[in-house]
Amino acid sequence: MFPNELARQQRAKVRLAITFASAGAVVLGALAVFQEFPEPPWLWGLFAVSFVFFEWNTVEVNDKLFASPSIMVVMTAAVAFGPMSAVLGTCAMAAVALFTPEDIRQRRWFQPAVNFGQLILTAAASVVVLALILRAGSSSGEANLAVTAFASGLAAMIYGAVNYWLVLFIVRSVYGHREARPWSHMTSILLPLTGMGFLGGLLGATYLLVGAASLPLIAIVFFTGYMAFESYAKLREAQLSTLAGFIKALEAKDLYTRGHTERVAYFANMIGQAMGYNGTQLEKLRWAALIHDVGKLAVPRTVIRKKARLTDDEYEEMQAHVHHVEDLLSEVDFLRPMVEVASNHHAHFDGNGYHGSTGELGEIPSLDARILAVADSFDAMTSTRSYRVALSQGYAFSELRKHAGTQFDPNVVEVFVSVLTASGERYGSPEELTDDEARRRAEHGIGHSHAATESPHMDTNRGSGAGRG
Amino acid sequence: MAETRLRILSYIVAAALSLTAVAFGLVGLTAAGVDQTLWIVDVAVWTVVIAVVSMIAVPAPSGSLLSLGIGAVVAASILVEDITAFGAAVAAALVIVSLVEGRFSFMRPRTDGDFLSDALAAIAYSTLFVYAADTIERLAFTDPYWGSVFAVAVGGLGWFVVRALVSAFVGVERTDLAGRYLWLLALEDWAVVVSLLAAGALFGLTWPVMGLWALAVAVLPYAFGHLAFERYHSTKVTYGQTIRALAQIPEVAGLAPRGHSTRTAELAVAVAQEMGLHPNDVNELEYAALMHDVGRITLNEPAILKAGYTDEDIARWGAQIIAEAPYLSQVSELVEQQHRPYRSPGIEFDPDVPMASKIIKVASAYDQGRVELGLSAIEALERIHQGSAYEYDPQVAASLRRVLVFRGEIPY
Repeated sequence: MFPNELARQQRAKVRLAITFASAGAVVLGALAVFQEFPEPPWLWGLFAVSFVFFEWNTVEVNDKLFASPSIMVVMTAAVAFGPMSAVLGTCAMAAVALFTPEDIRQRRWFQPAVNFGQLILTAAASVVVLALILRAGSSSGEANLAVTAFASGLAAMIYGAVNYWLVLFIVRSVYGHREARPWSHMTSILLPLTGMGFLGGLLGATYLLVGAASLPLIAIVFFTGYMAFESYAKLREAQLSTLAGFIKALEAKDLYTRGHTERVAYFANMIGQAMGYNGTQLEKLRWAALIHDVGKLAVPRTVIRKKARLTDDEYEEMQAHVHHVEDLLSEVDFLRPMVEVASNHHAHFDGNGYHGSTGELGEIPSLDARILAVADSFDAMTSTRSYRVALSQGYAFSELRKHAGTQFDPNVVEVFVSVLTASGERYGSPEELTDDEARRRAEHGIGHSHAATESPHMDTNRGSGAGRG
Repeated sequence: MAETRLRILSYIVAAALSLTAVAFGLVGLTAAGVDQTLWIVDVAVWTVVIAVVSMIAVPAPSGSLLSLGIGAVVAASILVEDITAFGAAVAAALVIVSLVEGRFSFMRPRTDGDFLSDALAAIAYSTLFVYAADTIERLAFTDPYWGSVFAVAVGGLGWFVVRALVSAFVGVERTDLAGRYLWLLALEDWAVVVSLLAAGALFGLTWPVMGLWALAVAVLPYAFGHLAFERYHSTKVTYGQTIRALAQIPEVAGLAPRGHSTRTAELAVAVAQEMGLHPNDVNELEYAALMHDVGRITLNEPAILKAGYTDEDIARWGAQIIAEAPYLSQVSELVEQQHRPYRSPGIEFDPDVPMASKIIKVASAYDQGRVELGLSAIEALERIHQGSAYEYDPQVAASLRRVLVFRGEIPY
């Protein structure tokens, strides 16, 4: 990054911090004039503590269900405080949460200053709406409960939207007009958000109707739920990192495949993103890439490292790694869809090649498998293997293009070539070889002709750069 | 034997509950000042509600299934005015559950032990709740809501303790599981029990003032937790599957005997449970036992095979591989220690070797004796006994013998 760009960012940060902090202070000051501080004070303290707790400890779960319990706390507090002190009370709660422990540890000033304004503005915008609705519908009874619940849901939606736009605004003004999507799935989290608000409003009404005795019960249900979600998230993280770490460790035992799966996962992710995959689909693709060569760990090194052409038996053994993957990992429930992709990464676009047990000869592999095939072959060509030196990126591209339509999906190949070129990253031999030279090197020490993609027999491309990935 | 005793015991409890329901019915319906129609409606409604809700199982962290009925019983305890009606409804619902549960394919299977611990815990709760509510009435709490919360807390404590005690008692019936192990296992489920108690109480308090909205107030927050319990359970299952799968890589590669890791893990877990290790330790031991031979994958390197290797090398290589997974450092440690003998030259016994590692060593050696050397159960055990107090921990060897006796593999 250029120095003047950094200076510009610094100036933008200072400007933003001052604007947001003073906007927050002005709103808070104005509210102190128009509204009363909630009674009793311990109630406010209780809600403030829970709000800060949830702001600081958001459980990161992939499926957005427990996205933001802090919004629920805001709505519960707003209803419990009553319309006359809801806005001031919730804004004061929000103001307390300006520092995160991380900020304090790192002595950051920009984040807390902006947070202060952002939280207050968000809370004020949403709770004002809620307070107005609550004041208008002052009839009592069960109809009032419905109004409270739905108004809180609406307010939560506003909270989410305002927060989203403010974050977007901040990121844009600091980092310029680069693509900034802090909540890339805004629409998909609106529903859980509204649900949280709805429930929050009901819980606030519960406090008004039943009294303080309801608070410990609500707290217990939420705290245990939160704990369960946390331990679930931890366990999930443990599981994923175990699998990834294990594969890495096993792979590291072999000099030639070291880092292979990680690079393949990286390329596959790149292609997936360029083809418009969403988070879940990318996750699946990444896992398929990480496990695609697990079976190879069970193939004797003598076969993998062999410099000369493989005998039929050895070739058979080599291809068995596709089945090893299935044998090993099909028992793992959550990996089942990924195993199907991984076991088809040697299947060809035209239906030839080596299919796993779920695919048949002549069947077109899934898009995931086609992406994985391109990523795998590219990395195989651009890294040094026992049977040849690494090839250049240009050569690898031309090989991919040459076999596009037969071995590879032409669309995937073009997407990959264009994103990798656009990224400016370079892989493989730095030496730009001519096509003939590269071929000569590729065939050197392997003594097998290249093409042979015509044959539907599974020894197609045996030993070629594109086939032995 | 033990199963029959449990069955008889659960029949006795079910019969006693039926009698209680009838007795409460007679007392309640004949007592002066009781609106009989209201009484019958109360009992009928709550019997159905508790019975139906009890059919829903909550997967607890320990792996056992708790009944959602806890919440319904708590709600009933607050909402049903008449003590006899409450008692009759709970007793009748428990009897229905004992008759129906597990009969249909869509239900999760539950054992007599599950029924016993749930039923006795519900009885403990009801008794304590009624007693506490009575005391509170005499103490004249200013806020009746706080009174209810207090009574639920007292009853809930009873529920939790009785359930854990009964679970441990059921374990005493089986000689292959230590009561201590089961007691600790049941204590692990406190979050689920507390969450259900609070959700039930929330419903009980809000129903009179909020009507059907009370359902949302009580059920929605609990639903988040329930979802998390479910997810936790299924992730735990797939975590186990993942480790099982990875542990088999050397076996698929032909570098370790097929099925050895699975059999060793199964036996090691049984021994650990018999010895009463902490459930968390048993969990780690299972993973370590599954992966104790994973270092053998290194043997597919021809140079290493040529240079030769020892058991210590296998253990060390395995530990190195496992250490790459950030959450398995404990397991890695256990795998590294598993080759170490009970008594090293020059010392009486080695206090640094974790019990789990000693168990894995014994289980692995037993399986090796059975499968690789083709020995009978008694011969394989004799082989362990011969190395006892030198190579193998005598305590573990004794525990292994008890497990094998329980399984009927050896006569004594």
